[in-house]
Amino acid sequence: MEIQIRNLSKTYANGVHALKDVTLTIPRGMFGLLGPNGAGKSTLMRMIATLQEPDQGSIRFGDIDVLRQKEKVRETLGYLPQEFGVYPKVTGAQLLEHFAVLKGITNRRSRREIVDALLHQTNLYEVRNKKLGGYSGGMRQRFGVAVALLGDPKLIIVDEPTAGLDPAERVRFLNLLSELGEDAVVILSTHIVDDVSELCSRLAIISKGTILLEAEPLQAVAAMRGRIWQRVIEKTGLDEIRRAHSVISTKLLAGRTVVRVHSTTAPGAGFEPVEPDLEDVYFSTMTGHYR
Amino acid sequence: MRCWEIFRFEIAYQSRRVSTWLYFAVLVTLTYYVSRQIYIDNARRDGYFFNAPFVIAVMTFLGSMMGLLSATQLAGDAAARDVQTRMDPLFYTTPVGKTAYLRGRFLAAFILYAVILLAVPLGLLLAAVVPGPEAELIGPFRPAAYLGAYLSLALPNAFVATAFLFSIAVLSRRAMASYLGGLLLFSVVAFSRGFVAGTLEWWELAKLLDPFGMTVLGELSRGWTPVEKSTRLIGLQGSLLSNRILWIGIALGVLALTQLRFRMAHHTAGARRMDKTLSGGPLPHGRVPVPSRAGKQATFGFATHARQMLAVARESFQEIAMSWGGLVLAGIAALAAVSATQIEHMGVPLFATAERITAFLAAPLTSPQEFFGMMVPLFILIHAGELVWREREARLSEIIGAAPIPEWVCFLGKFVGLGLVLGALQAVMTAAGILVQVFLGHFDFEIGLYARILFGLQLPDYLLFALLALVVHVVVNHKYAGHLVVVIAYAFMAFGPALGVGHNLLVYGSDPGWSYSDIRGFEPFIAPWLWFKFYWAAWALLLAVAATLLWVSGRDADLGSRLALARRRFTRRAAGLATAAVALILTLGSFLFYNTNVLNQYRTASDGLAWRAEYERRYGQYKGIRQPELTGANLRVEIYPDRREAEIRGTFHLVNTGPDAIDSVHLAIKPAVHTMAVRFDRPVRNVLSDEEFGHRIYALETSLQPGELLQLHFEVHFKPRGFSNRGMDASVVANGTYFTNDAWLPAIGYQADRELRSAGDRRKYRLSARPETPLLDDVEARHGAGWAARIAFEAVVGTGEGQVAVAPGRLRRSWTLGRRRYFHYATDVPIRNHYAFFSAAYAVHEARWNDTSIEIFHHPAHAWNVDRMVRSVQASLDYYTQQFGPYPHGQLRFVEQPGDGVSLHASPVNISYEEGFSLLNPGADQRDIDLPFAVVAHEVAHQWWGATLTPAPVEGAAVLTESLAWYSGMQVVERTLGREHLRRLVGMMWQVYATPRTRAAVPLLRASDSFLAYRKGPFAMYALREYAGVGQVNAALRRLIERHGSGTPPLATTQDLYRELKAAIPQPLHYLLADLFEANTFWELATQRVSAKQTGTGAWQVTLDVRARKVVVDTAGVETEVPMDDLIEVGVFAEGKSGEPGEPLYLQMHRLRSGEHRITVMVASEPARAGIDPRNLLIDVEGDDNVREITRSGGQTR
Repeated sequence: MEIQIRNLSKTYANGVHALKDVTLTIPRGMFGLLGPNGAGKSTLMRMIATLQEPDQGSIRFGDIDVLRQKEKVRETLGYLPQEFGVYPKVTGAQLLEHFAVLKGITNRRSRREIVDALLHQTNLYEVRNKKLGGYSGGMRQRFGVAVALLGDPKLIIVDEPTAGLDPAERVRFLNLLSELGEDAVVILSTHIVDDVSELCSRLAIISKGTILLEAEPLQAVAAMRGRIWQRVIEKTGLDEIRRAHSVISTKLLAGRTVVRVHSTTAPGAGFEPVEPDLEDVYFSTMTGHYR
Repeated sequence: MRCWEIFRFEIAYQSRRVSTWLYFAVLVTLTYYVSRQIYIDNARRDGYFFNAPFVIAVMTFLGSMMGLLSATQLAGDAAARDVQTRMDPLFYTTPVGKTAYLRGRFLAAFILYAVILLAVPLGLLLAAVVPGPEAELIGPFRPAAYLGAYLSLALPNAFVATAFLFSIAVLSRRAMASYLGGLLLFSVVAFSRGFVAGTLEWWELAKLLDPFGMTVLGELSRGWTPVEKSTRLIGLQGSLLSNRILWIGIALGVLALTQLRFRMAHHTAGARRMDKTLSGGPLPHGRVPVPSRAGKQATFGFATHARQMLAVARESFQEIAMSWGGLVLAGIAALAAVSATQIEHMGVPLFATAERITAFLAAPLTSPQEFFGMMVPLFILIHAGELVWREREARLSEIIGAAPIPEWVCFLGKFVGLGLVLGALQAVMTAAGILVQVFLGHFDFEIGLYARILFGLQLPDYLLFALLALVVHVVVNHKYAGHLVVVIAYAFMAFGPALGVGHNLLVYGSDPGWSYSDIRGFEPFIAPWLWFKFYWAAWALLLAVAATLLWVSGRDADLGSRLALARRRFTRRAAGLATAAVALILTLGSFLFYNTNVLNQYRTASDGLAWRAEYERRYGQYKGIRQPELTGANLRVEIYPDRREAEIRGTFHLVNTGPDAIDSVHLAIKPAVHTMAVRFDRPVRNVLSDEEFGHRIYALETSLQPGELLQLHFEVHFKPRGFSNRGMDASVVANGTYFTNDAWLPAIGYQADRELRSAGDRRKYRLSARPETPLLDDVEARHGAGWAARIAFEAVVGTGEGQVAVAPGRLRRSWTLGRRRYFHYATDVPIRNHYAFFSAAYAVHEARWNDTSIEIFHHPAHAWNVDRMVRSVQASLDYYTQQFGPYPHGQLRFVEQPGDGVSLHASPVNISYEEGFSLLNPGADQRDIDLPFAVVAHEVAHQWWGATLTPAPVEGAAVLTESLAWYSGMQVVERTLGREHLRRLVGMMWQVYATPRTRAAVPLLRASDSFLAYRKGPFAMYALREYAGVGQVNAALRRLIERHGSGTPPLATTQDLYRELKAAIPQPLHYLLADLFEANTFWELATQRVSAKQTGTGAWQVTLDVRARKVVVDTAGVETEVPMDDLIEVGVFAEGKSGEPGEPLYLQMHRLRSGEHRITVMVASEPARAGIDPRNLLIDVEGDDNVREITRSGGQTR
């Protein structure tokens, strides 16, 4: 089971060209979709999640035509959108049960078991009989995870899931996801590079509606070896370096600026070679220096 | 400054939204359309300008009601948008301050609403400018009228409504609350006008209670003459001013309270009650077993979809029922129950049969003028919108959209959920109805009837509308625009017929109507009703398919991708369903069309008018030509109740009573029946047979000489085929057949009563002007033939077994032949040509008065008042035969006929009464008034006033029938039940003055309308009796009957009555007779102060300060004061039991001139109250200021 996306395009009514001829293959396991805000990640995710229509192109999930056999996809889909709400006056257990029915778990006994297990797993069991209106942001996020995991999904789409989580929770959440990834296609969209580097066996980088890179993280990092150079400078020198070199990222370190540049040859005085990481791959790609 | 910025931004924000201008456009269109459609006709009929200030005011009010929907949006948005879009932290942390924030937002919402309401004057101006109505309907353009209405109605209404809706939304932090607030405002207006003023007649309270001023306008509408409506400006006068001050005050109070309660703070729902554990634990560490590994748990397929649909339905039901919606439902039911306890007729409680209570609870969906008729559709409208938008507003739509449920599950689930809520409403209504029955002491609940009416007939209407509302919201995909479209659709459903779209095939959900009667049951209305509902259900199915195709799952989408998706969703199953729906629509539609337009004639109201006009145009030339006169009718009537058919074969005996020979007979045939070939007992030639307009002419080969006889044989069939757009003709039904000779049997000569009467209609159809009723001095009308002529009547009536057939005359014989029963009736004395046939499974109650047999034919379950009726008939016969002359027939019958009305109709021998009359329960009347007794006495009196003395069909005829019948009935009440009882009855009749009405009217001698005939006439006769004595008045009436009771021309008019009265009463009272009958006179009598002190002798000296005035009001409403030197009764009364007026200590006539006077009288014991004209003998609209409580003066102590 893998997802094959072919020539997907979408232009919104306001003229925004959200996806431009996207072709992508997503195999079983964790797949990271990296990109800045507004890159088209969510549009792509929603299309895979059957919620949006492309203008052109096709999406297949195994032998399912995602655009035409939406229901078939939904039977095995777990989707956690970037932003979602809840019915505030309903308890967690009630709403999860409701979703369980909607996901086709009609047998009352097994539904109970599944709901209880998921509530335990997401550590919401204690508060299951409280109204959702009183849940904190993290609890709601976990509730969303529980909903997404209902019904043994073979395709799991999580859109920026770690945004609202504290660091410890984030780690645990990613663990949970990787566990699921053993048996399903898990698509994780994020703009946090670390999420991907820690978990994903494959990734794609998307920007302005175009897939810039489709690779395995380790190979991509390896391909960058010897091309990333770093120099620590005063802030005032930045402009000059920008003119002279292909700067892929800058960051502050103890009041001074650390500049990384992409270069196949040694860029000159002050620069030292560094071991590349996925972030370098990402920024090189975004700045057009990778490939 | 900050307030200004808030205000500016809000105005700019809302004016960039399409919906704001959409409302404006819709309001312009509606105003234009409604005023053109309704007020042109009203103006033509009632004789005021189409653009009269009054019309402008009413339309301005209507506009502020129609605009309420935009106000709820504007106010709700201004108040709760920040919270709902989660912008509130950004706003609340700016240094605006809550005062500036609230004021800016409120003012913006108010101003926007006020601007939208400018659509009303715009629409009205358009309506007056666009050519179309006749020039004489359009009055001068008066800017002040528009401005006045806008300033006194639109602006205050906008302020009050916005304040109210805004505050609700601010405090509840939900825009939805403002919709419920709008619903509440709407109901308060409807409740004030419809119930408090309309039913309870508490106008003063209602005028204050009504936040929009509708009741004030309602009062003006009744109290103003056409001239006043055309000329007087509506401004801040009188009760409107106090209403406005009160409500603006309340609005300011509400706003102040809102400002006090509002906090610019983060709102935590129920934070205080929140459990500490709710912070929750983190996700667990390490590996956890994923439960979904346990194997395949989810199943898919139809069974699962059904379960899912029910889950959605349950969730939707809970959402509505467990929230505000549930409260609103309970409120609706409670209000229904409270109003249903008021079932009464003229203050007399009715027996709380299920039929009565359900009639109250089951207001048709499309009757917004009725309180509940409006509440439920509004409820459906709002909750349909909420349901469709629920996921998206909770931001759950993407998760739900990704769940494996087809669109139809979502849509159907929501529909079923809403349906369950409506079912629950009906269940609560049933419970409320039964509680009301228990409360009113009626324990025959007939739960089956509740089920059939509330669930079988009303719920389908609700469901159809709910489906439409859901579909509209899905398709429109914009919440507010969706609401607007649903409202427009509803308006079309409710007013389509009034706006010219009357065919039930074209108005969603409509049907030909139904009614239930204890006698008749639901038949024959159910079959057509069902066919139409099936037809509309097929439409609903098609709509539902469309909605599932266009259903938005997940995100908002643009139209293009929705259409693309719809094409993809159009699977073979969807196509199959749509095809089935279309096939059903076409099949059922053709079947319905075949019934309404092929088997039956489809006629709109204006078609009916055109028919009348054309009849007059074609055959008006034959008006007044000599025709033989009917002297006898021999009929063989076969009624087939089970087949709902009837056949009549008959012979008319005609005679030429005139001086000249007659060479042709004109025969009017009736549209309700099929009239077969007609035969005469001499050779004739059928010169003309116009079946469409029901006119035939037969030329006699040899003309009919004066005095010569002619026999006419005819056959009439009543065999309805299918049903018409208006449903079924219920003349012949399984039980409760009723039809008249006027409706079915051919009639001789041109039928003047088919002519259009109202001046406006006649002008519209270009017919020559003529008075609506022939004038009092129309001599020709007094000689009119046919109208009063007497015939010998004989009929054999056959009907189904188990039924009794009733016709006028003595029952000579009855027999059974096969499975049919036959009754042979014949009159011993000729009767007016005005009779009816009845057939039903009657119970018969028999009694006698001297040689006259009294028979009450009633529905077996309606026996409550039978004894009372018999007593009244006996007392009446006793009194009338003594006073006015003998009763010519050997029998007098009351026959019950199906129908929920309370009216009775007297024809010779047989008096029919509708079922509602049987339900009067005078025993429960707190006032102790035996209304059925009085009404029966009134109807019996018609055997003299109507059947014996048949007045000429000119102005004032109703005084000779109705006023004299009431006067006679009053005598019987007094003689049988006592003087005090009559006083209470007259007091009840005086209640009509609680309803505002114009004083402009014709004098009693020319009276035609029901108020003058049924109320003022009896009051005048009563006053005359009190002034001149009953002997004088009755003697005059007796002479009137002696002179004019034969039914031969010249027929009597009010002038004959006047002459007899004048001859009978003493000359000093002739002024009173003239004031009461010849002019439209009003006395304005008031007692301003009364005081009493005890003199040394122990007697009491009572001093009254009174004011008296007498005016004459003409038909245009112009008042002229006339000098007064009249006999006025002065009365002093002792303390009475609670509620009773007390014994009169002094009651004497005094002569009073116009002006203020002091009257002093001495009484023997302690007085409690005193006044002039204490018994309200004279016509004084404000009768309750005649008597005052006595204030003790001069330091007297007990």
